[in-house]
Amino acid sequence: MTENQLRKQTTSPSEDPNGEIDALLADLWQRHLPTLRERLDLLTRTAAEAATGTLDETARAEAQSVAHKLSGNLGMFGYHKAGGIASQIEHIFKTPTPETLTDLASLTQDLHETLASSL
Amino acid sequence: MRRILIIDDEDDIREVAALSLEATAGWEIITANSGAKGIEVAVAQQPDAILMDVMMPEVDGPTTFRNMQQNSAISNIPVLLLTAKVQGVDQRRFAGLGVAAVLFKPFDPLTLADQISEVLGWNKNGHSEQPPPSEPAV
Repeated sequence: MTENQLRKQTTSPSEDPNGEIDALLADLWQRHLPTLRERLDLLTRTAAEAATGTLDETARAEAQSVAHKLSGNLGMFGYHKAGGIASQIEHIFKTPTPETLTDLASLTQDLHETLASSL
Repeated sequence: MRRILIIDDEDDIREVAALSLEATAGWEIITANSGAKGIEVAVAQQPDAILMDVMMPEVDGPTTFRNMQQNSAISNIPVLLLTAKVQGVDQRRFAGLGVAAVLFKPFDPLTLADQISEVLGWNKNGHSEQPPPSEPAV
């Protein structure tokens, strides 16, 4: 289906929207896993660069964008704690200071551990 | 029946938002993965409302909204910005753009249609209950 194509046309709400949405979320989560793992790896690498003072602007901006996406997506899948950690990471990358950059390694570790059972 | 255009570069967000609005409200959903495509689709399909992400590559949501306002074919379509939780200063900036509302991610798929209906003064069957608020809802 192309992006601007009309999706399926419905005339009334589903009789079981909860079940339909739960099934979609479970399916999407499985499809989302490879991207999620890549994003977590990127945050881990970038946090290590920040800790060693080798973080450049391109990497900072990319990590901020990735953390932003995670903060929006994870909560939608029900991972609210992980989404909150991603939001903290995004905030640090958005307005970094020498003090907060050193927090990134532990935050990315927390994020991994919070999601570990679902990865 | 209401027709909603969802503009977001994230596939997952588009899919979940689309299915939740279809399943819970029975609305017709069209999607676009960028602001530029979103404007094309909006002009062609004339949705009743547009749900659009703030942070997108190339052209972001606020810039896309300003471009929509300059296009008389779609300038009257209410736009709801969708963003991750932001600081107060960003909230005020988005509200000052003239959008109908600012909604926050992560959203609850089961209540997203209710949120949209509430800020636009719709009931979920697609009829207007009252005019949309003149001040953006945040």
